[in-house]
Amino acid sequence: MMLTLIRRELLDNLMTFRFAVAVFIMLLLVVANTAVLIKDYERRLAGHKTEVQKSREYMLEGKTYSVAELNIDRPPNPLSIFNTGLDKRLGNEIWVYYGHVPTLWDAEKHSSQNPFMNILSSIDIVFIFEGVLSLLALIFAYDTLAGEYERGTLRLVLTHSVSRGHILLAKYISAMVCLLVPLLMSLILAMFLLTTSPSFSLSTPDFLRIGGIMVASIAYLSAFYLIGMLISAMTRRTSTALMLSMFVWGFLVLVYPNMIVAVIQPSNPPEERRASVHNHIKQIWEEFERERKHFLATDTHLEGDPYGNMRWRGGYNFEHFQDKASVLQYYYYAGAEIDGFHEEPESEALHVQNYHRFLVPLIIDTAEHTWRVRKPVLEELFILPATVDRSWLRLTPTGIYDIATQALAGTDLNGMQDFFTAVQQHRQSVIDYYYDKNAFASRQWFSSDKEVVDWSALPQFSFQRSDISINVKRALPDLFLLLTINIVLFIGIFLIFVRREV
Amino acid sequence: MIWHIAKRELSNNLNSLRFALATVLLLGLMLTNAVVHLREHPERVKRYRENVSNHQNHIAAHASNGLYDLAQEGPGNLYKKPSDLRFCAEGGEAFMSDRAQAGYHRWSTGTLKSFWILAYPSATPNRDNVRPEVTKVDWGFIIGYVLSLVALLFTFDSISGERERGTLRLTLSNPIPRHTVLIGKFLGAFISVSIPFILAVLVNLLVISTSSGVHLDAEAWGRLGIIFFVAVLYTGLFLALGMLVSARVQRSAVSLVILLLVWVVFVVFMPSTLASIAGRSTSSGPTYDFSERSWKLHEELSSDYYSSHYKEPEGSTKRIEIDGAYVTKDAEQQERLHAERLNRRIAEVHRARTITRISPVTIVQNLIESFAGTGFERHLQFLENVQTYAREFRTFIVDTDSADPESLHIFGVRTGMSQEPVNPEAVPKFEDTLNLSRDFNTAATELLLLTLFVLVLLSGAYLAFVRVEV
Repeated sequence: MMLTLIRRELLDNLMTFRFAVAVFIMLLLVVANTAVLIKDYERRLAGHKTEVQKSREYMLEGKTYSVAELNIDRPPNPLSIFNTGLDKRLGNEIWVYYGHVPTLWDAEKHSSQNPFMNILSSIDIVFIFEGVLSLLALIFAYDTLAGEYERGTLRLVLTHSVSRGHILLAKYISAMVCLLVPLLMSLILAMFLLTTSPSFSLSTPDFLRIGGIMVASIAYLSAFYLIGMLISAMTRRTSTALMLSMFVWGFLVLVYPNMIVAVIQPSNPPEERRASVHNHIKQIWEEFERERKHFLATDTHLEGDPYGNMRWRGGYNFEHFQDKASVLQYYYYAGAEIDGFHEEPESEALHVQNYHRFLVPLIIDTAEHTWRVRKPVLEELFILPATVDRSWLRLTPTGIYDIATQALAGTDLNGMQDFFTAVQQHRQSVIDYYYDKNAFASRQWFSSDKEVVDWSALPQFSFQRSDISINVKRALPDLFLLLTINIVLFIGIFLIFVRREV
Repeated sequence: MIWHIAKRELSNNLNSLRFALATVLLLGLMLTNAVVHLREHPERVKRYRENVSNHQNHIAAHASNGLYDLAQEGPGNLYKKPSDLRFCAEGGEAFMSDRAQAGYHRWSTGTLKSFWILAYPSATPNRDNVRPEVTKVDWGFIIGYVLSLVALLFTFDSISGERERGTLRLTLSNPIPRHTVLIGKFLGAFISVSIPFILAVLVNLLVISTSSGVHLDAEAWGRLGIIFFVAVLYTGLFLALGMLVSARVQRSAVSLVILLLVWVVFVVFMPSTLASIAGRSTSSGPTYDFSERSWKLHEELSSDYYSSHYKEPEGSTKRIEIDGAYVTKDAEQQERLHAERLNRRIAEVHRARTITRISPVTIVQNLIESFAGTGFERHLQFLENVQTYAREFRTFIVDTDSADPESLHIFGVRTGMSQEPVNPEAVPKFEDTLNLSRDFNTAATELLLLTLFVLVLLSGAYLAFVRVEV
């Protein structure tokens, strides 16, 4: 009996005009946009490769340790095609300096990018699904119960010995099968385009991640189908059901996500907090500066200026405090690259080496101290509002779907943080390498007259996107939330439909 | 007779569910828009005022140090005036810097200092921001997306629904020409969509204008009137589209499916897809590093300078001239470099915006932006104002210098310029202005395009309806 019902519904749905249009629209939008997105990714990848090449050249140009330009470039995430998330927005160039703990707020954007282009809106595959899948689901669902009621066929079906639950289930299964056709077809075509593109090298975990995105898409589709069914079960006329569905769609997909983020505001104004912490960090560095001055004053050979007593032939030195209050960036930056001396500065050089042996560990310690102060505040100022926003967005299936797919694609905040954590670890390994080589106390720290620094032995930076299990773990709460919504909706429809008079 | 049909249509709609839902939705959105604007705008205006007074203090401080100091430091940061109508269109203002740098320290040698140049910093608000990215709920969004959807929902069954119910045959059996029926229906639908929209707009403006923090002057109200007219035209476009499809299709359910999908493609996806295509096609140019090029130019000039500088005896006029030429040439070169980069970027955006103009929602958003005084065109106007001011400022320096007979008239060096004190009041100050006639000029094409769309669709609906078999 169940099978007969399903078959009837399936045939009903497949023959309709809306099914043909659904398949056509989905294929058109997904294929056209995937092609565009692939080109966009290729461009970003090319930009990344040039930057990597350039930063390597910059590194090799440095002749002393203290002027080292160690830049790391963030590679684009291939899965950003599915959900861009934060992948395009955050900075991609990050500078590794022993005196400052790098975070995503210290990263810069490529200078070749045109900042004005941001005023144009961007798109990804999940965005298409968010809009079109939900609309299609509602278009398929609005007349499924109200229509049969209007035509009187519902009464006919119920005269047979079929339980109402079976009817609901049959309708649900057959409509979902119909809706899956355009979804799967468009995804398979998108995958086809991806795999034929030479620049994409998707690994097995990547395919699993895409599979996860597909599962989330199906759950999202089903949630909207059930919303449509609920409306259909509650109303007696198809036109009312249709009108209600469209307004519900407009509210859930179009209006609510945009409105809620505009309305909610971080509870306390962060400006004062930012200012006070900025002052605190400044004081930490003032303390450092006092210690440094004290050391210079006690060493009679240096007389306040470490390089002043040597007679150099060429080169440069610099020192200043870098200050960017908006992201609480504050550090001491100094370096020297002296090419040669008019006369061999035996004892002076030893004093300068001694100065650095004292100074650089002090800089590193102060940087760590700053980081301990800075980290919680950055989280409070930037991450906390984002978390609040996300929890409000979770009130619609669209928001949940977006968050879940971001987590699966690795373009969410956690995925981005993984990269910056790797950069922080890299900085630590560079510092350890410096300690091993006793680089601070060496002459190559400030002068290249005897020997130029050999950069080949420096630890290499490598970054692997987080393991698929971690991605899934981050997405699971939202996937479960989507499932819960599905189940609650289904139970609601069942209760309404069972008690309904035909 | 038209009015009779329109009235019937109107009374039908007023009692319907969609009317109630549309009113609630539009009211909610417009209220949100007003509240958010009132929360953000006073802060913005306050910041702008502070910045302007900083600019004036900067000029006064340097003018009192003499002409060289003023000419070397430049007028300082120049700020963009925030539009009072920003609630109408956000226009991506966050992605465009609110200032131009007219003077910052670039380099100094023992005796010489770099002269000021005009530079255009870029705003990268997203780099620090990890909050979810959403569309701003401004009038552009409410009109472009929500109002167009509402318009379709009001007209999808206007003809096919009557045919399904059989009332169309009844109406046409009366001696009424078909175009009268069509126009009557159009007017009826038009008034019924306008009522919730006007209501929402009134509430929005009521909230905004009664608050003490925001002042709308006569010109702003005029601009609001034009924006309202644009919204009406845009609504007409979607009403005509709805009637066209409704007349061609036998069943209203099919009509709605077609309309929704057309809407999704044209309104939701076209702008972003076209923008991505445009963004791709434009940045295939050379990606040389700006700072590298700037550095190279400076290096070349410096090596030329140092080779000629020491040939002249110290203190001679010739040497001062070489010094002055070095400084002014450097500033010129660098400023040209900045301007070239800016122009290239602007050209890219222009190309992209031309392509996205196929979508009606982009047209209407561009129009609202230009009349609200936000967005890209407005930014270009600001940049033009800045450049005009920079010329004015430089002319002032030259004029002041040539008025002093004791000066050597060599710019770029302290000893070569007038030593007389400068009256701070006489120095030109920068003031950013908005020009309505210019907005009309930039918007004319889009306005015409929109009107053309409406006319084409209306005549399409007429033709379809005339030929329809009842």
